[in-house]
Amino acid sequence: MIWHIAKRELYDNLNNLRFVLAIMLLIGLMITNAIVYLREHPTRVQQYRSSATESLEVLKARTDLYDIALNGPGDLYKQPASLRFCADGGESFLSEFVDGGYWMWGYGDGFRDFWLLNYPTSNPNLLNIRPDVTKVDWVFIFGYVLSLLALLFTFDSVSGERERGTLRLMLANSIPRHTVLFGKFLGALISLCIPTVIAILINLLVISTSSAVHLNNEAWKRLGVIIAVALVYIFLFLALGLLVSARVRRSSVSLVILLLTWVIFVVFVPGTVASITSGLSSPISSDELRKRQNQLHNEILEAYIDRTGGDETPERTLGRSEYIMKQMEQQERLRREHLDQQITQVQQARAVTRVSPAAILQHSLEAFAGTGFARHLQFLENVQRYAREYREFVENTDRSDPESLHLIGVPEGMSKKPVSPEAIPKFEDTLSLGKDFNTAAIDLLLLTLFVIVLLSAAYLAFVRVEV
Amino acid sequence: MLLTLIRRELLDNLMTFRFAAAVLIMLLLVVANTAVLIKDYERRLAAYNTALKTHHQQLWERKTYSGGKLDIARPPNPLSIFNVGLDKQLESETWISHSYVPTLWDADMLGTTNPLLNLFSSIDIVFIFEIVLSLIALIFAYDALAGERERGTLRLVLTHSVSRGQILLAKYISAMICLLVPLLMSLLLAMILLMTSVTISLSLGDFLRIGGIIFSSISYLSVFYLIGMLISAATTRTGTALMLAMFVWGFSVLVYPNVVIAAIAPPQTSQAGMVSTFNQIKQIWEELDRERKHFLANDPVPGEDPSFGMVRSGFAYEYFYEDASVLYYHYGAGAHVLELNEESEPQVPHAQDYYRFLVPRSVDAAERTWLVRKTALDTVFVQPAIVDRILLRFSPVGMYDAATQAWAGTDLSGLRDFFEAARKYRRTVIDYYYDKNAFGSRQWFSADKEMVDWDNLPRFSFQKSDARINAERALPDLLLLLIMNLLLFIVILLVFQRSEV
Repeated sequence: MIWHIAKRELYDNLNNLRFVLAIMLLIGLMITNAIVYLREHPTRVQQYRSSATESLEVLKARTDLYDIALNGPGDLYKQPASLRFCADGGESFLSEFVDGGYWMWGYGDGFRDFWLLNYPTSNPNLLNIRPDVTKVDWVFIFGYVLSLLALLFTFDSVSGERERGTLRLMLANSIPRHTVLFGKFLGALISLCIPTVIAILINLLVISTSSAVHLNNEAWKRLGVIIAVALVYIFLFLALGLLVSARVRRSSVSLVILLLTWVIFVVFVPGTVASITSGLSSPISSDELRKRQNQLHNEILEAYIDRTGGDETPERTLGRSEYIMKQMEQQERLRREHLDQQITQVQQARAVTRVSPAAILQHSLEAFAGTGFARHLQFLENVQRYAREYREFVENTDRSDPESLHLIGVPEGMSKKPVSPEAIPKFEDTLSLGKDFNTAAIDLLLLTLFVIVLLSAAYLAFVRVEV
Repeated sequence: MLLTLIRRELLDNLMTFRFAAAVLIMLLLVVANTAVLIKDYERRLAAYNTALKTHHQQLWERKTYSGGKLDIARPPNPLSIFNVGLDKQLESETWISHSYVPTLWDADMLGTTNPLLNLFSSIDIVFIFEIVLSLIALIFAYDALAGERERGTLRLVLTHSVSRGQILLAKYISAMICLLVPLLMSLLLAMILLMTSVTISLSLGDFLRIGGIIFSSISYLSVFYLIGMLISAATTRTGTALMLAMFVWGFSVLVYPNVVIAAIAPPQTSQAGMVSTFNQIKQIWEELDRERKHFLANDPVPGEDPSFGMVRSGFAYEYFYEDASVLYYHYGAGAHVLELNEESEPQVPHAQDYYRFLVPRSVDAAERTWLVRKTALDTVFVQPAIVDRILLRFSPVGMYDAATQAWAGTDLSGLRDFFEAARKYRRTVIDYYYDKNAFGSRQWFSADKEMVDWDNLPRFSFQKSDARINAERALPDLLLLLIMNLLLFIVILLVFQRSEV
């Protein structure tokens, strides 16, 4: 019986103007998405490759251990995600690299300081004076357009029938009410899925036929997950539409309520709530950070001033080595703490935006596409792990040389043996699906919860409805 | 008769659920966001004030004229609360010197606390209006004619001796009055919030600009109401009218602006063109270097040493800095002598001659560089932005956004005003140097005898352009909106006249 009702709903919808408009809109958006992706992605990959190789070449050219320890691995680049067309994730606002060859200069203390990890603070999107618009990615297409369509497909499904009197007719037959409701749900779902699936297929067809981009096996798996998440998201809006439609007597009122709810939760809540929450904490500004760096530098210099200056004695060498390592460690920690403050601020804001289903969709799609903030955190983690590896490598190489004094930080205290370029650890930015599941788990749970609550509310509303 | 009709429509509209919902939502959104925006503005203003203090202090620490690198900052625009435009996106701190003229692409950000926050979309008042006002206008309009036709009341009204034009006018006027209520109420609350903030002081010009923004908002609202009315006049059933109206809204507000910007690729910047321009700039400075060497070779002191063998304490510098991606090429030279020994005294006039020769030429070279750079950077960066703006104008949202940005002064021309002011200020500073005869003076490179005079140096202060100029910049988009209004009204009239009841 459910199928019967669903079929009837489906035929109703297929003959409707909204179906034609929806299919045109979705296909148009998906084609735009694919074209833009194919235009931009190859250059992005190429840029990444050339700059990563450049850094690697510089690293390979080094054979002296002190040189390696002093200059660091150079700029470490973030690998561009091949699924960026699913979620842009505001990548243009995130830095694509971490400076792994930064050294403090201009302090005039006479020491050659060691490299440290420096996180770019300025906004990479600076030269862009083009109008600021939302990127047309799957997050936009599903989050904004498809959710709006879901509401347009369901707003009159109960109230409209009640207005026309056909609901009474249907319920006069011996059909339980929940069957009617789920039939309607299924009918709306299928009639929404047809244009969506067609649009997605066209999108993927355009992308996969191009020779410039190659999606590997894992990417297809991720795409499957992304489509599943989008489906759950559509459930949510269909359930919301049915709920309001069942509660409200007139379909025009139903649509007004739905549209205003949609505008608030999809368009405004993420931005507004995020700005309110991020206003609660304020990390120090970059000027302030610079001041603290200077202060810290002077403090450490003060502490070591007696043990570093003067003639070349073993004691002085030891002091100098300790001084340089301490300076490196503490300065890097200061930068790291500053970055952590910034990250916490964003994380808090993101946590609160979860009241909006559109933000949940965005977070989970970003997680599976490998873009956006969560991915950036993964990249930073990769970089930090690599920095540790790199420093351990220097220590171990030095330790394996019996002639060395094992005083890292000063040229005379370190191994003089040439290092083979193959032995130096290379940075590789990686992504793993398992980790992404963990980041998105809470979002997925919340989304499912929303759906269950709304569906049961719709059920209750429909059971109690007076015809 | 018209009045009766208006009164009837007004009562009809005011008693509806949609009216209450519209008022409530507008107030909620505008108040919540204005509070956030005011806080953000105050933070930026505080950063600006600190920067002013630091700049002042740094200037005082400079003991020679040649070290006079003057930092200047752009104050945040209080009207960015209405439409933020490029006010936060483009950087707000730059510097000038005798050998350097800044462009839009050589600035730093003032007081950024967290660049990651750019991940969240910032919501200003105009953005709220763009989305919500248009939606509400369509919700009010979709059943204006189709609904009456369905219920049969239209036929009833037309049996009286009223023309169809009068009916349309009555409907339009009454609906606009209703729609103005949420718009004006929310703006009033926003203004009250603005007034209560101590740090924000609005001038008369600002009020005029806000008036302009309100007028643009009303025109925008009216365009969407008329679009809804046209749909209503052209369809027979309210259901169809509603569906069409929603698709038109979704397309013109959500889809079109985003799709058109994404789909139109920025024209590939010709690398060859950039390289040749960069070479042109290099040539300017290389020529200066040749002249400099020529001068040094031909002056009475043997050798090409720009410090003329003066034994001194202090430092001298000479550097080139280049960044081909924004055609940045800067040559800086100067000296900072703290003390000269007796033997060096006879060399001082030679050094003075040298700088008297060199500095005016580098002033000139900097200006020529700026001209070359500006033209090249405009074609690379500004042209695409202008093309985007033109494409956006095919949707009323684009016109409205451009008009309000122009009123608020947060558009590209408003920001260019700042760099233009910086350039003018540089001229003032150079004139001041000429007045003081600074280029040929001992204080140009040495701080040992007389102190430099920073006291009388005119200060930089950025005055926003006149409200009249803002109006001129907003006029094209505003006119487009008004013309669209007129056209829509005429089309509705034609459609409605010919429609059967």
